[in-house]
Amino acid sequence: MSNLLRSVLSSTETRQDTTSVVKTERPWNVVVWDDPVTPMSVVVVIFRRIFGYSNNKCTQLMLQVHHEGRAIVWSGANDRATSYCVKLQVAGLQATIEKDE
Amino acid sequence: MAANRLFVRRRDGRIEVRLNDAGREVAREAFGRVIAAERDPQHEWRDTLNPPIDPSIDADDPFSTLNRQNEISTNAELAYMTLGEQFLNEGEAWAWLSTLQIALRSTAISHGLLSEQKLSACEPPLLDFIRTLQQFLFSLAECI
Repeated sequence: MSNLLRSVLSSTETRQDTTSVVKTERPWNVVVWDDPVTPMSVVVVIFRRIFGYSNNKCTQLMLQVHHEGRAIVWSGANDRATSYCVKLQVAGLQATIEKDE
Repeated sequence: MAANRLFVRRRDGRIEVRLNDAGREVAREAFGRVIAAERDPQHEWRDTLNPPIDPSIDADDPFSTLNRQNEISTNAELAYMTLGEQFLNEGEAWAWLSTLQIALRSTAISHGLLSEQKLSACEPPLLDFIRTLQQFLFSLAECI
């Protein structure tokens, strides 16, 4: 067996070992907060544009923000949550991230 | 009712701007204020444009905050540059919507109008400005 082939096979074995490790982390939530001036239809349009959700889901989330004062609109890895939060802020909504409890 | 719509989606996909001169002047004021706020660290809207991303930490990732600042500026400048256009493409319409929304929230927050009661009780010229921006947004959201 050549050195190159040996090295490739050895790295493959290492990879197989590492994939067996299950990493569990609490997800990060992107939270959108209510405010008294933003038109409801604007919130729906922003959710649809940023997350690509259906109209129904966007409307449900918008109503949750309106009635409960906040809604979790996305959950997942920290870097993606941060990126979505920034996109929502750029679109003019009040958004933050928080670690899921 | 269609005659009263301020923005209309055309068959070719473009969005027609039906604002009159007074309407475009309100939009110019809104876009101009967002641009000024991004350039002036002392501007009264500065805090509104730099909200926390993760409130549980002292300072957010500078890359994310810089990215936000760049995107807000780019949108506001594109919106300002297209003020005189009769038709907007998708990207320009999104820049208008984002910048109008930022101007609306920043105006309300900087005047402490954080409830419907306070909003209704504010001075007529300010309320007029806010209601006008809301009407622009409502109409634009219908065709995006």
